[in-house]
Amino acid sequence: MRRNQSPIAAILARREITLLVIIVVLVAAVGIRAPRFLQPARQLSILNDTIILLMLTLGQLAVILTAGIDLSVASNLAFTGMAVAMWNMVMPGVPMVVLVGASILIGASLGAFNGVMVSVGKVPPIIMTLGTMSVYRGMVFLISGGAWVSAHQMSESFRGFARFNILGLPSLVWIGVITTALVYVFLRFTRSGRELYAVGDNATAAGFVGVSARKAQFKAFVLSGAIAGLTGLLWVSRFASAQNDTAIGFELETVAAAVIGGVSIMGGSGTVTGVVLGAVFLGIVKNALTVVGVSPFWQMAIQGAVILVAIVANTVVDRRNQARLSARRISA
Amino acid sequence: MADIVQLENVRKYFPGVKALDGVSMTIRSGEVHALIGENGAGKSTLVKILTGIHDPTSGTILVDGEPASFRTPHDSQAAGITAIHQEASMFPNLTITENIFMGHHLRNRFGLLDWKTMEARTRELCERLSLAISPDTLVRDLSVAQRHQIEIIKALSIDARVIIMDEPTASLSLKEIQELYELVRTLREQGTAIVFISHKFEEIFEVADTYTVLRDGKYVGNGSVSDVTTDDLVRKMAGAALDRLFPERTPSIGEVALSVQGLTQAGVFEDVSFELRNGEILGFFGLIGAGRSELMQSIFGVRSRDAGSVTVAGERLDPLNPRKSMAQGLAFVPEDRQEQGVILDMSIIENTTLSSLRAVSRFGFPQKHTERSVTEGLAKRFSLRAARLEQRVAALSGGNQQKVVLSKWLATQPRILILDEPTRGIDVATKAAVHSFVGELADQGYAIILVSSELHEVLGMSDRILVMREGRLVAGFDSEDASAERVLATAIGAAAVEQGA
Amino acid sequence: MMRKVIAVGLVLLLSSVMVFAGGGAEAPAEDGTLRIGLLVKSLGNSFFEAARDGAMEAAAELGDVEVIYQGPSTPTAEGQIEIIDSLIAQGVDGIAISANDENALVPAAQRAQRAGIEVISFDSAVAAGGRSVHLAPSDDELIGRSQVQAIAEMIDFEGQIAILSASSTATNQNAWIEWMRVALEEPEYANMELVDVVYGDDLSDQSYREAVGLFNRFPDLRGIISPTTVGVAATARAIQDEGLVGQVELTGLGLPSEMRQYVLDGVSQNVALWNPIDLGYAAIYITYHLLRGNVEAEVGAVIPAGRIGDIRVGEGLVAVLGEPFVFDASNIAEFADIY
Repeated sequence: MRRNQSPIAAILARREITLLVIIVVLVAAVGIRAPRFLQPARQLSILNDTIILLMLTLGQLAVILTAGIDLSVASNLAFTGMAVAMWNMVMPGVPMVVLVGASILIGASLGAFNGVMVSVGKVPPIIMTLGTMSVYRGMVFLISGGAWVSAHQMSESFRGFARFNILGLPSLVWIGVITTALVYVFLRFTRSGRELYAVGDNATAAGFVGVSARKAQFKAFVLSGAIAGLTGLLWVSRFASAQNDTAIGFELETVAAAVIGGVSIMGGSGTVTGVVLGAVFLGIVKNALTVVGVSPFWQMAIQGAVILVAIVANTVVDRRNQARLSARRISA
Repeated sequence: MADIVQLENVRKYFPGVKALDGVSMTIRSGEVHALIGENGAGKSTLVKILTGIHDPTSGTILVDGEPASFRTPHDSQAAGITAIHQEASMFPNLTITENIFMGHHLRNRFGLLDWKTMEARTRELCERLSLAISPDTLVRDLSVAQRHQIEIIKALSIDARVIIMDEPTASLSLKEIQELYELVRTLREQGTAIVFISHKFEEIFEVADTYTVLRDGKYVGNGSVSDVTTDDLVRKMAGAALDRLFPERTPSIGEVALSVQGLTQAGVFEDVSFELRNGEILGFFGLIGAGRSELMQSIFGVRSRDAGSVTVAGERLDPLNPRKSMAQGLAFVPEDRQEQGVILDMSIIENTTLSSLRAVSRFGFPQKHTERSVTEGLAKRFSLRAARLEQRVAALSGGNQQKVVLSKWLATQPRILILDEPTRGIDVATKAAVHSFVGELADQGYAIILVSSELHEVLGMSDRILVMREGRLVAGFDSEDASAERVLATAIGAAAVEQGA
Repeated sequence: MMRKVIAVGLVLLLSSVMVFAGGGAEAPAEDGTLRIGLLVKSLGNSFFEAARDGAMEAAAELGDVEVIYQGPSTPTAEGQIEIIDSLIAQGVDGIAISANDENALVPAAQRAQRAGIEVISFDSAVAAGGRSVHLAPSDDELIGRSQVQAIAEMIDFEGQIAILSASSTATNQNAWIEWMRVALEEPEYANMELVDVVYGDDLSDQSYREAVGLFNRFPDLRGIISPTTVGVAATARAIQDEGLVGQVELTGLGLPSEMRQYVLDGVSQNVALWNPIDLGYAAIYITYHLLRGNVEAEVGAVIPAGRIGDIRVGEGLVAVLGEPFVFDASNIAEFADIY
């Protein structure tokens, strides 16, 4: 399947190119105002700042593809982060490999709970994850007793886990790149990945060929949960602080990044490339605002406006391309 | 009978294609005018010109003898032309009155909505068409047929003089169709002009007075329905006589392939038992709502059942387990292509291999070259017309989409095929291709169930015909003693129930 | 129906938990000893446990005081009201409250006052009608000025500084920042320039990002004041990650536990916050002296508070403990274990 050669793929690519152009223009505009913004070190720091959002959005992508939504990712992140931080506090000798495995496992279990309730219990994803968003957040308070895990309570390797340098890049970036590659392969080259698209696009037709919507939903939630768990460890390590309201409200940023990246909220359509661009776009906007020195009273409005402009521009270009395509179809 | 609308030598060109090429047509009051042509003949383009969605490239439109131009749908509505669409565009959570007056609400002298008058007017229109529906019923509580009637009332409420009905009987039961005919006749008597678009000749002969035939965007002929026969019309449409549509074959019936015993889903189908043999085409006829599609879904395992069993080669199929059915060699082409058959946003390849992903995968990774070669083979077999196999299925015509669905099922290498309305809504040429293909498969020893609402298709294709009515098998015919009249009569319940099955 | 039953059951369960959390009646004290209830926001909070230790210390010094330490299991006004009623029933002499809700506690506090109990508040105030004196840990002016002084000493009274606050609408933060601006007008700070005030919304990632933004916009930045725990910790992390330790100095208001690592690593020379031990200690002294009639609860009254010295009662009967307590490398480890 050489997607790049089909006209549809050309459009998808073009849609992503639109976003890429918007990103380049944005960076250039900020660079004129604050030239330091263009330094490679700054760009790397923005990338570093975007990785967690990117990873969570990849999980979100899997769920949205099945026509669901996972609003519990940020709470899952906070819970898993708190859990592994507390483990590290109590038993500092446990190697990081074990904690990484544990974080993925804990996150995946929380995701599996969503998955079971949605696929077997038939609870609508938005309701279910709205509920677990609070439940998982409440569980953070329960295990922590309201207290934080602070930098001095973490082992040296725990605190340094997200930022040690490999070949000039921080480990956080490497983990992000690896996760992105894995999700890309999963969605494009595996049977399960293809089934997510099929189920989200037309669950009835998929069911008629024996592709189970329930299983696909379950897998998507487990994936989203596992990624959220891993990012929990990364977040807590990066900021060297496990708090009760870690990443509060972050779930909406993942949805925003997905939508900016052209993921259809109706399911069945969306790419890893789009998500990468969407997350990078959001990351740049957030960092640009701090560099340009916009009044804090304007920041939120500007951030929202820029996001809207990106989405609208993206949609308009997309629609034009669709129109061009259907014109071509008639003439064919 | 006055001429309301006259089209003279109307052309509509899209870049590189002549959708309409010099069509003339006269629509008169108190006349039912059938618009005939296979898919892609230009019927919908003509309708879009009449309703102001498209501007003609050249030609004239006269309304009441005066030249007119329909630039917007509003212009054509003002001239009294309204189309009733295949999928009724209604607001299910609003009442009939609210639906009818949506967009042109009546106001009282305070500028507020005058519900009393609107309701009275709705009641009056219902009475005029002798419909017994209360105006404050919610549209979601209406049947499909009733919704059609409301659409017609809606047209009348804005004083439509020309009502265009596009395949109005597509999803109606036989009784409802009869009621629709009554309604059409009532409208005709009251002086309304009706443009009636249909694929079904019975309907045309039943209600139409005049006809216009289009082929490949060209005007082929018109005249009075009473002057022509079905054969004449078919020849005009496709240049093909009816009997040529079905392949000649000499069936060789083998072992029992599929056995259904006492299959029941309460209220949907009851106690259905039959056997299907290798090399046999078993036709299932019945009216819409007789439970045929539901029965097939249950056999295949995508719909639950309350009792009974399905056996393939000595192995019982589990309820609600399509994977097992597929493993046992069953394939199921569902009736609703867009909803149940294809995945519109996926490519032809992805659609084709979705049913057999396991077979084309290694370690959970679908192998691109295997997928491509499987799809290429099937596309060739069905002479699929697509620019490339990576094309999105949404961009294909209905007939080609159906070919993709068939390909998808043949990719599973089945032995038993259940085809539920395989030719619904596809053009004559593709239809013939499907028919000859189904015949070939049976000759190769496949066991085939053919569910169809088209009587002639069932009669022409099947070795044996089972008739369902109200969820039960009521009769069985061998192809030689099946006649259109007898099969139809048992399906309607007009004749004494014949033994068989 | 079933749902209603469950709901009623839950309400009963919760209220009984609160009643029991309030503790049972205790035996009345023998003559001469004053019994003072120390009512905190919630139990199991190490900040208030430190305040209790301070209160015990004061009681031991005074000799004729018994401290009854109480609080609801969750920080709710309802829980505190239950406990006030139970303290009234026990016939205590005084109550010192850190309130979960300024106004909701007023009626219960007034019941206590009518029963002849001396009611004061500390840390978090009860509205004026429900208490005599309120003991504030510090006041806006002291906080603002002490923070500026702290950063000034770190950067030798020279260079650009910035402030990283919580949200732009936080009243207390804004009041402190106003006093920082006022303080910076003083001649000794003439060589210092406040270049910007940014807001991290008390979120780690946002605060971190804002800190990095400051480094980028102001390459010559010498110091950051972040008067909020999340902000000061995230800024410390950012300084460390960007390799700016020693180049950009940092102070602020922050929990010693959260800041311990950074103070010991030298990212921040010191940070400040209220000292809960001193708060509990002073609260008992104030209640004691009011009960003994040594001072009147009136503006201008001066109340001796043991090792802390005299505390003056100001406008609105608010007494201020003093400047925020400074944690540096010498003492932060000790306090980090408390809160």
